[in-house]
Amino acid sequence: MSLNVSFLPLAVKDLPSCARSRKDEGWRLVQMLCVRTEKGTDLIYSFMKDDALENYTIKDVKGGMEIPSISESFLNAFVFENEAHDLFGVQVTDIAIDFAGKFYAVSQSEPMTVISPAQKEAREKAAKIAAAKAAKEAKGATGGSTPEAAKSARPARAKNAAPAANVPRPAKGGASAGKTQKEGE
Amino acid sequence: MGSFNLGKMTLGSMFKKPETIQYPAQTRFVPVGLKGHVAIDMQVCILCGICMKRCTTSAITVDKPARIWEIDRFRCVQCGYCIAECPKDCLFMEPSYAPAATAKSIEVFEKPAEELDEAAEEAQAAKEAEKAARVKAALEAKAAREAQKAKDDPAEAPKTARA
Amino acid sequence: MGKASVIPFGPQHPVLPEPLHLDLVVEDETVIEAIPQIGFVHRGLEKLVETRDFNQFIYVAERICGICAFGHSLGYAETVEQLMQVEVPKRAEYLRVIWHEMSRIHSHLLWMGLAADAFGFESLFMHCWRLRERVLDLFEATTGGRVILSVVKVGGVARDITDDMFRKIQDTLNGIKGEYGQICKTFLNDYSVKNRTVGVGVIDEEAARSQCMVGPFARASNVNNDIRIFGNGAYGELDGFEPILDTQGDCYARVKVRALEVLQSIEIVNELIGKIPAGEVAVEMKGAPADGAEAASVLEQPRGECYYYARGNGTKYLERMRMRTPTSQNIAGMTTALAGCDLADVNMIVLTIDPCISCTER
Repeated sequence: MSLNVSFLPLAVKDLPSCARSRKDEGWRLVQMLCVRTEKGTDLIYSFMKDDALENYTIKDVKGGMEIPSISESFLNAFVFENEAHDLFGVQVTDIAIDFAGKFYAVSQSEPMTVISPAQKEAREKAAKIAAAKAAKEAKGATGGSTPEAAKSARPARAKNAAPAANVPRPAKGGASAGKTQKEGE
Repeated sequence: MGSFNLGKMTLGSMFKKPETIQYPAQTRFVPVGLKGHVAIDMQVCILCGICMKRCTTSAITVDKPARIWEIDRFRCVQCGYCIAECPKDCLFMEPSYAPAATAKSIEVFEKPAEELDEAAEEAQAAKEAEKAARVKAALEAKAAREAQKAKDDPAEAPKTARA
Repeated sequence: MGKASVIPFGPQHPVLPEPLHLDLVVEDETVIEAIPQIGFVHRGLEKLVETRDFNQFIYVAERICGICAFGHSLGYAETVEQLMQVEVPKRAEYLRVIWHEMSRIHSHLLWMGLAADAFGFESLFMHCWRLRERVLDLFEATTGGRVILSVVKVGGVARDITDDMFRKIQDTLNGIKGEYGQICKTFLNDYSVKNRTVGVGVIDEEAARSQCMVGPFARASNVNNDIRIFGNGAYGELDGFEPILDTQGDCYARVKVRALEVLQSIEIVNELIGKIPAGEVAVEMKGAPADGAEAASVLEQPRGECYYYARGNGTKYLERMRMRTPTSQNIAGMTTALAGCDLADVNMIVLTIDPCISCTER
């Protein structure tokens, strides 16, 4: 038999009843994760039984929204819910073992909500390319001319300069007692 | 006290050769393909900088104007990604580990300047002149296109270069 | 009626491979309650996915844990391949499973050594690790690394194994069976080992299911949750794979399940080497994950079931990569197993969940 993976939507108010019904039917909780998007946080709860893996997605949880805990049905959820609170700032109420923000002693609160500059740059570039592509397709539908196509292809070349992948390195001027090697071959 | 189940193995290990070797007096057999350290053939390298962009830990620095390729051996994790991505295949993995040291250092490799004879130098100058001419022609064509478009569609807001 | 006192266990403790803190509420040498605390090895690796593209991140995923290194790179690669809808060649799937099963052998041998060390049998610990060295030598010969293999890439594997090397793998693995048999006999029949493990930390099947435990920890309580039966990758090519279960639910059963799994893995490797097809070992990866695409997959690592989730956003950086490791599921089970045990048994019970805290915290 093979594993069937499915993604289903869920609303916050249905969460406790969903968890209880899954528990009664003999499903087990696989995990709970958070994804930070521009609109808020998505929560994904996964349950598994026999050969079905169901992922329930709660979309766009905003800052002050309270999520009921499912640790009364599934005790092992307390690890994930504490982590969600510490790293993403999701307010989960009534966790069975609640560490009140001290589960991971992070120096910056809610670190996963901060977007690093490289990622932001890459996202903006991708958004521009997507917008240009959409504009090109719209123009193509109304019989656009070649200069338009040339114009929309240009942004793909324009922002090539950013070597976005690299973490900024400390200045290497004074630090190295470097030995210079001339390639002998 | 039950029987000592591990007796045979324990007795055997008293008489067999030890599992450890007297390192560094003796060294182990080094298998081919061991991920030791990254090495470069500077003659083939074109200083394109792709290895610098791909390095997972930012251990490589390439300075094209200064013709220098540097690697910080202490940051390199021998993942092999630079080797896979090099377009000229000038990087390879050598099967000896980078030696331990008391201070961090960066290894610098310099690409020797090419010595060209007269004919080759003239050919290179001609190539550069041709390239400059092509770029100029392309810019003029672009300016002409823009002017034409502005004339054709005065109502439509001209799409300038994206910010 | 004694007075209750709180004894801190960890984060530094000779028996723990990784730092974990437990506050043990103890009354007269009996543990009433245990409150776990993790967070000592949190490196924020899931955040690194924002600055390392999906090809570079595989090297980060490997370094989450030294013992489960291959498992994480395999699970990550499988998830991203599902995200980008890429199919890897058959030979690559076989090679991945061969390396993964050898990784299971090395992980279980490591664990058995630590378990022996936990109840003080140091020479058994040394013998287990001596056999493990043979497997690490095989890794070094085939991939170039002993612990961090760096051989899986998104789209396949980076290296091939020749027929000579396959023969060497088979010879080595079959060669350790003799000595391994003696080690198993000691673990399962020795009087002092039995004294420390039989009847200790019992978790019955009902509790195991309600706590959603995974891995050999749960299979020792008769919960069949081995993901390998679903046949992802080359696991589907095995005939007659049956997970090893035990009904006792105590530490002795957990030792037995892991000991037998090593033998099962040796058989799996032999079978796959016999069946491996010829062909390419990788496909070229082009483009980036689509915006909004998501994929989830599970993998049976030596410690249990590991869940991977990836979401793309159109750039070469993934939006989110989540690795839910088996130990984070088992922490709740460990907490209930510790309630009511003797203080001297805390070592053994904590170790039998096969704690890999660096995986849990990433």
